[in-house]
Amino acid sequence: MSADDLLRVDDLHKRFGDEEVLKGVSFEMAPQDVQVLIGPSGSGKSTLLRCVNRLTEYEQGEITLDGTPTSEMDENDLRRQVGMVFQDFNLFAHRTAKGNVTLGLRQVLGLSKEEADSRAMAQLDQVGLADQADSYPAELSGGQKQRVGIARALAMDPKLLLFDEPTSALDPELIGEVLGVMRDLADQGMTMLCVTHEMGFARQAATDIMFLDGGQIVEHGPPDTLFEDPERERTGQFLERLTSLHGDDG
Amino acid sequence: MADRARVRVGTRTRRSLAKLVVGVAFWAWVVLRWLNDWAGGVVVPRQQPFVPPSLFTGLANGVPDVVPFVADALGAVAFAVEFLPTLVDAFWLTIVLTGVATVLGFCIAVPLAGARVYGRLSAWLALGYVELFRGTPLLAQLFVLYYGLPWLPAFFRELPWVGAGFLPGQAVFVAILGFTLNSAAYQAEYIRGAVESVDPGQLLAARSVGLSRIQGIRFVVFPQALRYAIPGWTNELVYLIKYSSLAAFITVPELFQAAQGIASTNYRYTALFVLSGLLYLALVVTATTLMEYVGNAVSVPGVSGTGSR
Repeated sequence: MSADDLLRVDDLHKRFGDEEVLKGVSFEMAPQDVQVLIGPSGSGKSTLLRCVNRLTEYEQGEITLDGTPTSEMDENDLRRQVGMVFQDFNLFAHRTAKGNVTLGLRQVLGLSKEEADSRAMAQLDQVGLADQADSYPAELSGGQKQRVGIARALAMDPKLLLFDEPTSALDPELIGEVLGVMRDLADQGMTMLCVTHEMGFARQAATDIMFLDGGQIVEHGPPDTLFEDPERERTGQFLERLTSLHGDDG
Repeated sequence: MADRARVRVGTRTRRSLAKLVVGVAFWAWVVLRWLNDWAGGVVVPRQQPFVPPSLFTGLANGVPDVVPFVADALGAVAFAVEFLPTLVDAFWLTIVLTGVATVLGFCIAVPLAGARVYGRLSAWLALGYVELFRGTPLLAQLFVLYYGLPWLPAFFRELPWVGAGFLPGQAVFVAILGFTLNSAAYQAEYIRGAVESVDPGQLLAARSVGLSRIQGIRFVVFPQALRYAIPGWTNELVYLIKYSSLAAFITVPELFQAAQGIASTNYRYTALFVLSGLLYLALVVTATTLMEYVGNAVSVPGVSGTGSR
């Protein structure tokens, strides 16, 4: 733990009714870190992400972004600084690709139409979709939709990007284009917290992998350590299974 | 296959072209009648037909008795020509009642629907409003407003512009108020259903870029919901066109009352209700055609109320 951590999660507890989904999760992320969060379904990965940008409220613990406790921030301001990419894209269905990116720029950042348009076009260009700017979500492939989703989050110039299984809803042949964009972002120094089971991506791009099981982080370390020499047998088994399923696409 | 498709498209184009021609001719005639009568009878005297009905009765008299139907049909045309001018004058009020009440009702219905879906206390208030106005007869609502609350018509009567010049008397304003309140309840339910059909992930995504809840509803949920709502909403418009006839019972001289008024002097009730029914039908067909056009104009791929989603 150091003073210049970008994100610090400390003893986070979250329950849905009687069930405690997160049982004291703590970790830190330095700027430009790419942390990959893995774990069996129901282990609380998505819930953890949503606690970070307060789409879900939690009972106990503290989350600090860039030195400020998120509980003291305005929630809309927090979400402007923490972008999120969803498993099922959630593109605004009635707006074009460009319109998806400009909405936040216009309404949250208050940019003029011209500024928002040119920033959106630059962002779409970065994910390779400048030529689809005027297409509606229904006219895009899954991979294209997710790249627009990334552009929409990026346009707000966030300090941190959250990825909630960004490739799980995609056909296998479309996964590569999304992972490619994510790898580029990692190379450019974007701080990213990713729930993903794409082990190729994790091996190449992650600074750390966290294994979440039963509401707790049971193992946390650089990819090489986790892949070659996990502390726990459970981690090794899980990683082996993931690699055999999702290892080749990276 | 390709040929058959082309034939089908051709038929459809011809049919909609025919509909357009008939529609334009009908409304041109209606507007000409209004202009003539409002200007005090510039072309023909007020409420007098452009073509004398005697033309058709004369023709009917010339038809030999052995030919069936033709004389009767000409007689019916003569009857229509004689009384349509009066009915078309009253038709104006029917259109005003429905149009104004629908638009005002929509302005109330949108916040009502929002309250129903997203409110806490306001959800209960909105539910109470909707149940009250959907659960009681529209005619009873009009009676309460007009006869049960004497200060309400009195309030409208005292307004300097009510009943002055072109503007109708207080009963019309009470009727518009009644239809607005009632229609808002129905419209709110159509819109609420559409709002609930929007994927919750849409609002979640809006919130995730930093939009407030209100902004998310305003810029993401409602633009989609209103597109989905168009077919159901059109249904409410169609209902209101015909229910506007209830205004006759609080003395509004609209189409139904005009038909009744003429029939009470010549006892041709069936003929006059058929004639006024045709005018209602024309208005309904026009309204649905326009709404279909609006629906197509605002639909985007993946978000339309008419096509597949």
